Amino acid sequence: MSARVASLATAPTRRRAPAQMLRAVRRWLLYAALIVGGLIMMGPFFWMIITSLKTRAEVFGTAPLSLPTGAHFENYATMWNAFPQGVTFGTFFGNSLRLALLCTAGQLVTSSMAAYAFAVIPFRGRGPLFGVLLATLIIPFQVVLVPNFILFRTLPHPFSESGNWIGTQEPLWVGAWLGGAFGTFLLRQFFMTVPKDLADAARVDGANPWQIFTRLYLPLARPALATLAIFTFMWTWNDLLSPLIYLSNLDQYTTTVGLAFFKGQYIGKWPEMMAGALVSLLPMIALFVVAQKYFVRGIALSGLKG
Amino acid sequence: MTQPAHRVARAQAQRRRGGPVASETRWAWLFLAPTLIGLAILSAGPIMATLAISLTNWDLLTAPKWVGPDNFTKLLNDGRFIVAVRNTLFYTVISVPLGLVLGLGLALALNQRIRGIAWIRTAYFLPLVTSATAVGLVWAWIYAPSDGILNQLLRVIGAPPQKWISDPFWAMPAIILMSTWQGLGTGVIIFLAGLQGVPQEYYDAAAVDGAGRWGRFRSVTLPLITPSIFFTGILSLISAFQIFDQVFVLARPGKPTEATVTLVYFIYENGFKNFKMGYAAAASWILFLIVAVLTWLYFRTQRRWVHYQ
Repeated sequence: MSARVASLATAPTRRRAPAQMLRAVRRWLLYAALIVGGLIMMGPFFWMIITSLKTRAEVFGTAPLSLPTGAHFENYATMWNAFPQGVTFGTFFGNSLRLALLCTAGQLVTSSMAAYAFAVIPFRGRGPLFGVLLATLIIPFQVVLVPNFILFRTLPHPFSESGNWIGTQEPLWVGAWLGGAFGTFLLRQFFMTVPKDLADAARVDGANPWQIFTRLYLPLARPALATLAIFTFMWTWNDLLSPLIYLSNLDQYTTTVGLAFFKGQYIGKWPEMMAGALVSLLPMIALFVVAQKYFVRGIALSGLKG
Repeated sequence: MTQPAHRVARAQAQRRRGGPVASETRWAWLFLAPTLIGLAILSAGPIMATLAISLTNWDLLTAPKWVGPDNFTKLLNDGRFIVAVRNTLFYTVISVPLGLVLGLGLALALNQRIRGIAWIRTAYFLPLVTSATAVGLVWAWIYAPSDGILNQLLRVIGAPPQKWISDPFWAMPAIILMSTWQGLGTGVIIFLAGLQGVPQEYYDAAAVDGAGRWGRFRSVTLPLITPSIFFTGILSLISAFQIFDQVFVLARPGKPTEATVTLVYFIYENGFKNFKMGYAAAASWILFLIVAVLTWLYFRTQRRWVHYQ
């Protein structure tokens, strides 16, 4: 090493130039590789957009990588109205949006409450209870699908055809109002970083735990709440299995079930299918572009504390 | 604001004693009420219910009939179930290491302070937020046996076209490729966070010792991000066993070839298409056991290769 230091110190600049050039070349190669890789990652999306604008004849008749002859936006209209019984793709879109918002609200309220209890209030059995909650994180939710289905099948429902909760959207959002391991964990980690003195001072001022929670802790936790909101929204929006199991009528379908139904009904109608897929992706893509910071933070945070 | 003396005294007394205060405990249970109900009826409680149901035959129309461990013996003799377990294991064994290696490599490459890196990263993260259903449609089109882009490209280079998703050999690799493409971002994000936590001094020290690029990676980077590798591993292991959406969407609805029937698809098919609740519950319990045992084994290896700073 000492030899290298010496050579660096004494070497004239012409000795250093090739090394610098090598570094620049390596940098540009990396740049190029990353961009090409990124384009490959985006490939399926490009392919989706291009196909959604082609006519079916163009899809099957022309060279694979050709561009559409014109923007055939009518594919979007065809897909939008491709469903029987007066249902449009907008119905699915509205259902997904409503469910995602309901679930997000439920998770924000109930997870933050539980997280506050776990982080701030000392009570007997806190550690073991938190352990049980965390343990549910590693249980695949499909394992409890059968008992959950049977539970919802025994609950009476005044407006459903079956008389119970099957065939309604209720099973898809009510659970979100009953806490969640991921959100509780995420918010607890955040609440633990709030100095205890603040809560003590508020307590001395006569504030009860609810007031301390809503006026002190929640406003401070805004970034963590945003992360939880985005993840809950994404998971609900993208979920396929649960809506598939609980929903029976077309007018209750979410976008995911609607798309799967569409694929089963219209085999080979690729342009329309791609149009539908693209429309269903738009909210998530928009959310991601606006709030990428929170996505990344949420994944990284859960990873670091694991 | 002046404080009533007795309140200050009480607060101080509470803090001195240090233990929980009765009224505070009551508040805790109030805050926890929704979570406790959820745990009891939707997540932790139903694990036991799954076991109980698995010991019955139940079609939901007639009363459940107690059959003891019959469903489990039947499962072990059910060719489709064995295939489902084998397919799920195959998927896991290939996709988890593949995702880890690619994710780590990409994170190393993306861990640069160069102009436009945020945009480049976005391209790698975007598939992560999309639904497997929607992107599954475009992959179904990529893999389409007659005129899918993959076969069209193969034709250009003179290779024979394949049936991909309906081909017993190619079906699972095709699903693995799509899932890896979609899930890559998770590992990259966790690894990037891990890499940014490696103190620069360690690299400097290694450089002083004369370590080259590879040496620095082997002796500094790799050991220090083993916690991230460990965590990404457990995440992808658990999610690999839950593979369903891709299979459901890519394979013709309801009729995948045997090569893509996974454990969760098997549960879905038996429980919610054939309404064999006991049978589906038994399969669920086996899924739970496999995941629990693998997770436990995985955690046991932790001490041997994970370094916490």
